[in-house]
Amino acid sequence: MPSLRELQGDVLDALLGAGLARVSTLIAGPRAPAERRFDVYANTVQSNFRDALQSTYPAVRRLVGEDYFRQSARELQRRHPSASGDLSHCGQGFPNFLAQLHPDDGFTYLADVARLEWLIQESLLAAEHAPLDLASLARVPPADYDGLRFGLHPTLRLFESRYPALAIWEVNVGDDAEPPTIDLRSGGNQIAIVRHRLQLQFLALSPGEYCFLHAFARGESFSAAVDRGATADADFDACAALQRFVAAEAVVAFTSTIKT
Amino acid sequence: MPANAGIGLRAPHHLHVLSESPEVSWFEAHSENYFAEGGAHVECLSRIRARYPLSLHGVGLSLGSTDPLNREHLANLKRVVARFEPALVSEHLSWSSAGGRFANDLLPLPYTEEALRHVGSRIAHVQDALGRQILLENVSSYVQFTASTMTEWEFVAGVAAESGCGILLDLNNVYVAAHNHEFESHAYLQGIPRHLVQEFHLAGFSRIDLDGHDLLVDTHGTPVCDAVWDLYLAALRRFGNVPTLIEWDTDLPNFDVLQAEAQKADSLRSTLNALAA
Repeated sequence: MPSLRELQGDVLDALLGAGLARVSTLIAGPRAPAERRFDVYANTVQSNFRDALQSTYPAVRRLVGEDYFRQSARELQRRHPSASGDLSHCGQGFPNFLAQLHPDDGFTYLADVARLEWLIQESLLAAEHAPLDLASLARVPPADYDGLRFGLHPTLRLFESRYPALAIWEVNVGDDAEPPTIDLRSGGNQIAIVRHRLQLQFLALSPGEYCFLHAFARGESFSAAVDRGATADADFDACAALQRFVAAEAVVAFTSTIKT
Repeated sequence: MPANAGIGLRAPHHLHVLSESPEVSWFEAHSENYFAEGGAHVECLSRIRARYPLSLHGVGLSLGSTDPLNREHLANLKRVVARFEPALVSEHLSWSSAGGRFANDLLPLPYTEEALRHVGSRIAHVQDALGRQILLENVSSYVQFTASTMTEWEFVAGVAAESGCGILLDLNNVYVAAHNHEFESHAYLQGIPRHLVQEFHLAGFSRIDLDGHDLLVDTHGTPVCDAVWDLYLAALRRFGNVPTLIEWDTDLPNFDVLQAEAQKADSLRSTLNALAA
């Protein structure tokens, strides 16, 4: 008799498509052939994964259609099985999977739409946060501004694409039976996704603002972030950008190395 | 937890429950659906929890797996238990992962001494981590393992004795397994010690044809069938007034259909109590 560990490894291999040769001697019971009954599990394992993928990627699902989506879900699960008991994580590898499938053809944009959908899901599930405490910021002496490190809202995600991925996403998650066609050459995206309570927002960013927020996301100091913004965009106005992101509750915290 | 029947809470019913405050004795929610740090589901459950008693029911801990217990999953479970303060916490007597890969389905164990000791020690570990007793649910199954050396009910009772957990007896799962594996569902009830059962589940199944043999599949997509209501009466006679839950997952109907099923369970229980009095 195999050990419990061996049995579970063999059953999982079979459920993920390795064939029934190893499990057919492990399973028994009356009624229909054991292999046919085992298929009930295999089908559920596939449909649970596909349903979770579909709830994360509704726009990609609509763009590629039912058959292609099913096939992609199956192949993704075979190559990158779920690594968690919580299925909301199972689609993390889908954008890279699509990028590998379509490295340089008319469907290269699909991976970017998928990346956007993944970031939207992350934003939807992240923690809430109070706005920036302006009174404590006002107590920071101007000499210490350069060393401040600003923190982004937990729901904030930065996204860029050379395609109009956000417009593609918007028309494909709406109710339109025939969503309008988006010209792939109509301009790319640099955006911040942020959610407050139930309201998801997309902030269009200039190249300077994008690099500025990216520096915050990496934990860089205010002066380093200002340099990043100015390098990307000669007209970058750091004070205006900071005011905008504080007002939009995109920047919600700060730490100062010097005690205020 | 009230002995009246509760209803399995599903996300499409969140807004109905919040806006209508329907008459429901208690709700049971799937723990994993509320693991997120924030967002709409968590917000809804917080508000529902403020009005109704709650049970949290896990589907992803993979208690029976020989992989190390997933610490992140257990930490998330501990966090949602602290956040929502449920009256009951339950998990499934099943496994779903091997070598770090998850099937995300409730797979049956072979009913062996090795599996009994393994899953018993895992449950004890989870109970220590959560600082409370959990209930363990029997699952539906479509295959049996040639390695099994005992009946399913001997296994369930043995795991509870080994770990100190309670039992969530899913009567639909008993019925489905009894049909699929050709045993007597009443023998199952007789094999479970009376004091261990702290919750019942009731749900509907589907019947599929495999090469001329019918197999029952635990789809939770239909009303509770008459034979399972009969089994419910037998279970009430044996285990007493245990909190009962109506579950529905696929082809989720309007909320009032679930309320009618819960009322039916309450009415059967009241009638039985009146007859016994």
